Amino acid sequence: MSRRQNPSEFLKKIIGKPVVVKLNSGVDYRGILACLDGFMNIALEQTEEYSNGQLQNKYGDAFIRGNNVLYISTSTK
Amino acid sequence: MAEQPKKEVVLNATIEEPLDLLRLSLEERVHVKMRTDRELRGKLRAFDQHLNMVLSEVEEIVTTRETDEDTFEEIYRQTKRTVPMLFVRGDSVILVSPPVRAS
Repeated sequence: MSRRQNPSEFLKKIIGKPVVVKLNSGVDYRGILACLDGFMNIALEQTEEYSNGQLQNKYGDAFIRGNNVLYISTSTK
Repeated sequence: MAEQPKKEVVLNATIEEPLDLLRLSLEERVHVKMRTDRELRGKLRAFDQHLNMVLSEVEEIVTTRETDEDTFEEIYRQTKRTVPMLFVRGDSVILVSPPVRAS
Protein backbone atom coordinates (compact mmCIF):
# COMPACT_ATOMS: atom_id res chain seq x y z
CA MET A 1 0.00 0.00 0.00
CA SER A 2 2.66 2.51 0.94
CA ARG A 3 6.37 2.71 0.32
CA ARG A 4 8.78 2.37 3.18
CA GLN A 5 8.79 5.64 5.03
CA ASN A 6 9.76 7.14 8.32
CA PRO A 7 7.40 8.34 11.04
CA SER A 8 7.54 11.99 10.12
CA GLU A 9 6.61 11.21 6.51
CA PHE A 10 3.65 9.30 7.84
CA LEU A 11 2.62 12.27 9.95
CA LYS A 12 2.93 14.64 7.01
CA LYS A 13 0.79 12.33 4.91
CA ILE A 14 -2.09 12.18 7.35
CA ILE A 15 -2.51 15.95 7.71
CA GLY A 16 -6.07 16.82 6.76
CA LYS A 17 -7.31 13.31 7.51
CA PRO A 18 -9.50 12.10 10.35
CA VAL A 19 -7.38 10.76 13.18
CA VAL A 20 -7.63 9.40 16.69
CA VAL A 21 -5.17 10.86 19.16
CA LYS A 22 -4.79 8.89 22.36
CA LEU A 23 -3.28 10.58 25.36
CA ASN A 24 -1.33 9.00 28.19
CA SER A 25 -4.37 9.52 30.42
CA GLY A 26 -6.33 7.16 28.16
CA VAL A 27 -8.55 9.88 26.75
CA ASP A 28 -9.14 9.76 22.98
CA TYR A 29 -9.55 12.74 20.71
CA ARG A 30 -11.11 12.19 17.31
CA GLY A 31 -10.93 14.90 14.72
CA ILE A 32 -9.34 16.20 11.55
CA LEU A 33 -5.59 16.63 11.92
CA ALA A 34 -4.94 20.29 11.04
CA CYS A 35 -1.22 20.29 11.76
CA LEU A 36 1.49 19.20 14.14
CA ASP A 37 5.01 20.20 15.07
CA GLY A 38 8.24 18.64 16.30
CA PHE A 39 7.03 18.49 19.89
CA MET A 40 4.05 16.54 18.61
CA ASN A 41 1.83 19.41 19.61
CA ILE A 42 -1.33 18.82 17.61
CA ALA A 43 -4.04 21.03 16.19
CA LEU A 44 -7.31 19.20 15.59
CA GLU A 45 -10.53 20.37 13.98
CA GLN A 46 -14.04 19.12 14.74
CA THR A 47 -12.67 17.46 17.82
CA GLU A 48 -14.60 14.95 19.90
CA GLU A 49 -13.32 13.89 23.29
CA TYR A 50 -13.93 10.28 24.31
CA SER A 51 -13.19 8.85 27.70
CA ASN A 52 -14.02 5.20 28.40
CA GLY A 53 -15.50 5.05 24.92
CA GLN A 54 -18.08 7.71 25.74
CA LEU A 55 -18.32 11.09 24.09
CA GLN A 56 -17.49 13.67 26.73
CA ASN A 57 -17.03 16.91 24.87
CA LYS A 58 -16.84 18.56 21.48
CA TYR A 59 -14.47 21.32 20.50
CA GLY A 60 -14.38 23.23 17.23
CA ASP A 61 -10.62 23.38 17.30
CA ALA A 62 -8.28 21.97 19.83
CA PHE A 63 -4.62 22.35 20.59
CA ILE A 64 -3.10 19.32 22.32
CA ARG A 65 0.24 19.69 24.06
CA GLY A 66 2.62 17.11 22.62
CA ASN A 67 3.90 15.62 25.86
CA ASN A 68 0.46 14.13 26.56
CA VAL A 69 0.30 12.18 23.29
CA LEU A 70 0.51 8.40 23.39
CA TYR A 71 -0.29 7.74 19.75
CA ILE A 72 -1.85 9.19 16.62
CA SER A 73 -3.78 6.80 14.45
CA THR A 74 -5.69 7.26 11.24
CA SER A 75 -9.39 6.73 11.65
CA THR A 76 -11.99 5.44 9.25
CA LYS A 77 -14.58 7.99 10.35
CA MET B 1 5.75 28.11 -12.78
CA ALA B 2 3.78 30.70 -10.93
CA GLU B 3 4.65 31.08 -7.30
CA GLN B 4 2.13 29.42 -5.09
CA PRO B 5 1.52 30.61 -1.58
CA LYS B 6 2.85 27.81 0.57
CA LYS B 7 0.64 28.53 3.54
CA GLU B 8 -2.26 26.23 4.00
CA VAL B 9 -5.50 28.07 4.62
CA VAL B 10 -7.58 26.46 7.33
CA LEU B 11 -10.26 28.00 9.51
CA ASN B 12 -10.19 31.21 7.48
CA ALA B 13 -6.72 31.95 8.74
CA THR B 14 -3.20 30.74 8.20
CA ILE B 15 -2.20 27.88 10.43
CA GLU B 16 1.18 26.35 9.76
CA GLU B 17 1.94 24.99 13.17
CA PRO B 18 -0.26 24.11 16.12
CA LEU B 19 0.79 27.16 18.12
CA ASP B 20 -0.79 29.37 15.43
CA LEU B 21 -4.12 28.18 16.78
CA LEU B 22 -3.29 29.93 20.04
CA ARG B 23 -1.86 32.97 18.32
CA LEU B 24 -5.26 33.44 16.68
CA SER B 25 -6.96 33.10 20.05
CA LEU B 26 -5.07 35.88 21.82
CA GLU B 27 -7.44 38.27 23.59
CA GLU B 28 -10.21 35.70 23.24
CA ARG B 29 -11.74 33.44 25.83
CA VAL B 30 -10.26 29.96 25.69
CA HIS B 31 -10.93 26.70 27.43
CA VAL B 32 -7.88 25.00 28.94
CA LYS B 33 -7.87 21.43 30.12
CA MET B 34 -5.24 20.80 32.74
CA ARG B 35 -3.80 17.79 34.51
CA THR B 36 -5.34 16.80 37.85
CA ASP B 37 -8.91 17.31 36.58
CA ARG B 38 -8.79 21.06 36.37
CA GLU B 39 -10.33 23.22 33.71
CA LEU B 40 -9.86 26.91 33.12
CA ARG B 41 -11.86 29.35 31.07
CA GLY B 42 -10.43 32.78 30.59
CA LYS B 43 -9.16 35.41 28.24
CA LEU B 44 -5.81 34.46 26.73
CA ARG B 45 -3.45 37.38 27.31
CA ALA B 46 -0.12 35.78 26.49
CA PHE B 47 1.55 32.42 25.92
CA ASP B 48 4.90 30.98 24.94
CA GLN B 49 6.28 27.82 23.36
CA HIS B 50 6.04 25.92 26.66
CA LEU B 51 2.32 26.77 26.80
CA ASN B 52 2.96 28.94 29.83
CA MET B 53 -0.04 31.23 29.67
CA VAL B 54 -1.40 34.37 31.21
CA LEU B 55 -5.18 34.32 31.47
CA SER B 56 -7.49 36.98 32.82
CA GLU B 57 -11.02 36.79 34.21
CA VAL B 58 -10.50 33.09 34.77
CA GLU B 59 -13.01 30.57 35.97
CA GLU B 60 -11.31 27.52 37.43
CA ILE B 61 -13.34 24.33 37.63
CA VAL B 62 -11.93 21.50 39.74
CA THR B 63 -13.57 18.11 39.45
CA THR B 64 -13.12 15.72 42.34
CA ARG B 65 -14.23 12.13 42.41
CA GLU B 66 -15.41 10.38 45.50
CA THR B 67 -16.69 6.87 45.95
CA ASP B 68 -19.67 6.38 48.20
CA GLU B 69 -18.58 3.85 50.85
CA ASP B 70 -21.91 2.03 50.96
CA THR B 71 -23.08 1.97 47.37
CA PHE B 72 -19.68 2.35 45.68
CA GLU B 73 -21.32 4.99 43.57
CA GLU B 74 -18.91 7.46 42.09
CA ILE B 75 -19.71 11.02 42.94
CA TYR B 76 -18.24 13.84 40.90
CA ARG B 77 -18.06 17.23 42.55
CA GLN B 78 -17.22 20.41 40.74
CA THR B 79 -15.94 23.42 42.58
CA LYS B 80 -15.59 26.72 40.82
CA ARG B 81 -13.70 29.82 41.64
CA THR B 82 -12.80 32.92 39.73
CA VAL B 83 -9.40 34.53 39.50
CA PRO B 84 -8.81 37.96 37.97
CA MET B 85 -5.39 37.19 36.55
CA LEU B 86 -3.57 33.89 36.37
CA PHE B 87 -0.22 32.57 35.20
CA VAL B 88 -0.33 28.93 34.16
CA ARG B 89 2.79 26.83 33.94
CA GLY B 90 2.78 25.05 30.59
CA ASP B 91 3.71 21.58 31.75
CA SER B 92 0.32 20.97 33.33
CA VAL B 93 -1.61 21.88 30.17
CA ILE B 94 -3.28 19.06 28.23
CA LEU B 95 -5.52 20.85 25.76
CA VAL B 96 -6.39 24.37 24.74
CA SER B 97 -9.55 25.07 22.81
CA PRO B 98 -10.25 28.47 21.29
CA PRO B 99 -13.76 29.88 21.10
CA VAL B 100 -15.88 28.64 18.23
CA ARG B 101 -14.93 30.66 15.19
CA ALA B 102 -17.57 31.86 12.77
CA SER B 103 -16.73 30.22 9.46
